[in-house]
Amino acid sequence: MTKRSSAGTSQTRRRFMQVAGAASAAATLPGAFSINAQAQAGKILRVRLGSDISVLDPSHIFQIENQTVSGHIFNGMVKYDQATNKIVPDAASEWNVSSDGTVFTFKLRPGINFQKNYGPLTSVDVKYSLDRVIDPKGGSKYTGQLAGLKSIDTPDPQTVVITLEKPNSGFLHKVTAFNQGWIVPKKAVEERGEKFKLDPVGSGPFVFEKWTAGTEVRLSANKDYFEGAPKLDGILFRVIRDETAAAIALEKREIDVFYALQQPEIIDRLKKVSGITVMNREANHTINLVLNTTIKPLNDARVRQAMAHALNRKGLIDGFFKGTKGEANSVLTSSFAEFTNDVAKYPYDPEKAKALLKEAGVPSFKFEITAVGLSPYDKIVVPMADDLRQVGIETTLKVLERGAYTQARNSGNVQSCITGVVGSPDPDSPLVSLYAKASFPPGLNTARYDQVEDLLAKASLAGDAAARNAAYKAIVQKVATDMPVIPLYSDQVFMAHTDAVKGLEQNSLFTMQSYAVALA
Amino acid sequence: MLDYLGRCLVQLVVTLLGVVTVAFFLMRAVPGDPAQYMLGDYATKEALAVLREQLGLDLPVYQQYLLFMQRALTGDLGSSVVTGQPAMTEIMDSLPASAALAVTGLLIAIAIGVPLGIISAVRQGTWVDVAVMMGALAGISFPVFWLGLVAILVFAHKLSIFPALGASTSGGLLTQLYYLMLPAIVFGFSVAAYIARLTRSAMLEVLGQDYVRVARAMGIRESRIIGRLALRNALIPILAVIGVTFTLAFGNAILIEVVFSRPGVGSTLLKAILARDYQLVQAGVLVLAAVVVVVNVSLDVIYGFIDPRLRVT
Repeated sequence: MTKRSSAGTSQTRRRFMQVAGAASAAATLPGAFSINAQAQAGKILRVRLGSDISVLDPSHIFQIENQTVSGHIFNGMVKYDQATNKIVPDAASEWNVSSDGTVFTFKLRPGINFQKNYGPLTSVDVKYSLDRVIDPKGGSKYTGQLAGLKSIDTPDPQTVVITLEKPNSGFLHKVTAFNQGWIVPKKAVEERGEKFKLDPVGSGPFVFEKWTAGTEVRLSANKDYFEGAPKLDGILFRVIRDETAAAIALEKREIDVFYALQQPEIIDRLKKVSGITVMNREANHTINLVLNTTIKPLNDARVRQAMAHALNRKGLIDGFFKGTKGEANSVLTSSFAEFTNDVAKYPYDPEKAKALLKEAGVPSFKFEITAVGLSPYDKIVVPMADDLRQVGIETTLKVLERGAYTQARNSGNVQSCITGVVGSPDPDSPLVSLYAKASFPPGLNTARYDQVEDLLAKASLAGDAAARNAAYKAIVQKVATDMPVIPLYSDQVFMAHTDAVKGLEQNSLFTMQSYAVALA
Repeated sequence: MLDYLGRCLVQLVVTLLGVVTVAFFLMRAVPGDPAQYMLGDYATKEALAVLREQLGLDLPVYQQYLLFMQRALTGDLGSSVVTGQPAMTEIMDSLPASAALAVTGLLIAIAIGVPLGIISAVRQGTWVDVAVMMGALAGISFPVFWLGLVAILVFAHKLSIFPALGASTSGGLLTQLYYLMLPAIVFGFSVAAYIARLTRSAMLEVLGQDYVRVARAMGIRESRIIGRLALRNALIPILAVIGVTFTLAFGNAILIEVVFSRPGVGSTLLKAILARDYQLVQAGVLVLAAVVVVVNVSLDVIYGFIDPRLRVT
């Protein structure tokens, strides 16, 4: 693999111009031949998106591509530090919690203005943004995230007072700059209606300019951004679905950042190219085998433990994923502040699995894994079924199209399913989703597990960080013993960029943020 | 001619009505609920009910159909439930990219395929014939996404003649054409293989006819026999294939669109189907059906120019 400098592209252009010139016998050609037209127009960061955007409105947003674009446009009251996942000030400069833990008072920074002349960001906009998520008629995906809010008050334009029905030490996560936590301008949403979904206005470091379906999204720098103008003049998100094509485009400097890099072969290839840096980080994301604890013999914890021992998860990570995923002993990966590795572990041990099954009195039983027909879920279940058969569990597979899969899972009648939980570094995101009674139906607790209700409640009440860590540790340890959910692997986020890109920090949210980025 | 075009117009309307109806019911037969897709895994029954009502999904299917038809006949195909944009706008936005690929690709295919087919028919049994047919077989056998990736590796990466990305939104017409070349060549090459094979067999059939033998006996120059007599008679099946390929290029060029990072009707439609975006699917199917009908009608007219016996009245 040879290194290609930017001179390489201009040479390309010259070569083509010679060819074209000869063909058309034209003496002069319009200056239209310019592969790097965007790059020359200013400091525009060109970022690969793996699929097209579809909706940028925070109350409806889903998928990392949408979230990545919106992350540049909107602010929350607070935000995650990209590197540490600590909650730090964003639009709110300070906040305090009442002694009983139910009243959160936020002070907004003065002088934050929405883009495109939509005026200052005030408490009215914050209330409006949250209210439209809570309103069941709004059709928001995140209504459940804001359940338990008693009231949102706006005593003055810079103050937001949120009262909860009961204390929740993790509440800040719900108003952090991600999904429902992003603040939209009331006036712009009301004016634009449905159009706001793909023509959004926020207060963030970049301004939405233009979306060309299937091709690209353009953002320009918000020179008046309250934390200072970005070092870039703009961002061009380019839709490149194929990873091989994206890798070549990066090597040829047709793009600057290869976001959402997944294929092990491509990762290997790019690591060998000089002038290109491959970054990776553990995501807040595990892929799990969820076992329905209401169906025999899965109601027996020993059977579930046996299955954890029977699965060669290390083999899956090293073999199928070529080491591009991490081992997970718990759904709280190391990217969570509340992470602990002090849990029961289940290394690959078929003999122990057989012994446990024998002890439970079910040396053999029929078992079915339901998975969604999307890569890699439809593929990883094959070696998993093999592993389980080795210890006497007669495993069959059912791979369903996404809609049918959701229906099957929501019925609560499937023995098991493969479930990934994607979200912010809020420990409640995976724990409540997978283990709380409130999460089914509807939700992801298709294990129908209900043994950590009191521990979850205790974690909500925990006062300081130490108490929170202790409370979450207790939950993680309990579910690691009960094993209603077998973590298969933790996801890792890969991203590659050229040498020209400086200051890019990778977060664990699966998104990409370029406010701090400069182009050399 | 006018009478014929009138009949075509009626045919167009009937086809579109039929196609849209089929698409409407097929989409509703596919498992998966748009409301569930929009609200995700944590959607409560109440929230789903509210959204279904808003989208009109709580009505019986026949009522949904009547409502849809009522609106469709006034030209309103609804808005995409995901993006909120008018469905027709979104499809029409991706149409030019598909059209550009289809037209350019086919021109390349014709430019390569027809001459090669003629040559191998005229030189039947020689090494030229064998070589052309081997090449055509390869063109048909290699999947187009593989050809695309190889083309990117060779022409974009090693030789640096073309960009790796097959579409640009900035720059003038020439820049756009430059970006289009590689995907068009790959698409053209795979189609050229079919055209070459078809041209060869059609030519062989015609060259075996009595009138060709008579023409040869009369001492007419071989080039004239090939060009005027044989090719013109062989053109009808070739045109038919070109017509089919052209319409396929709109809906089925997804693999090329993916490899070369291009937008297109096919990709838009696939995205819509996966998201159960009923309105967008219906609009897409309608547009594709219209393209098919228009191309077929144009072909009928062109046939008449080539072969007076097929002239439409």
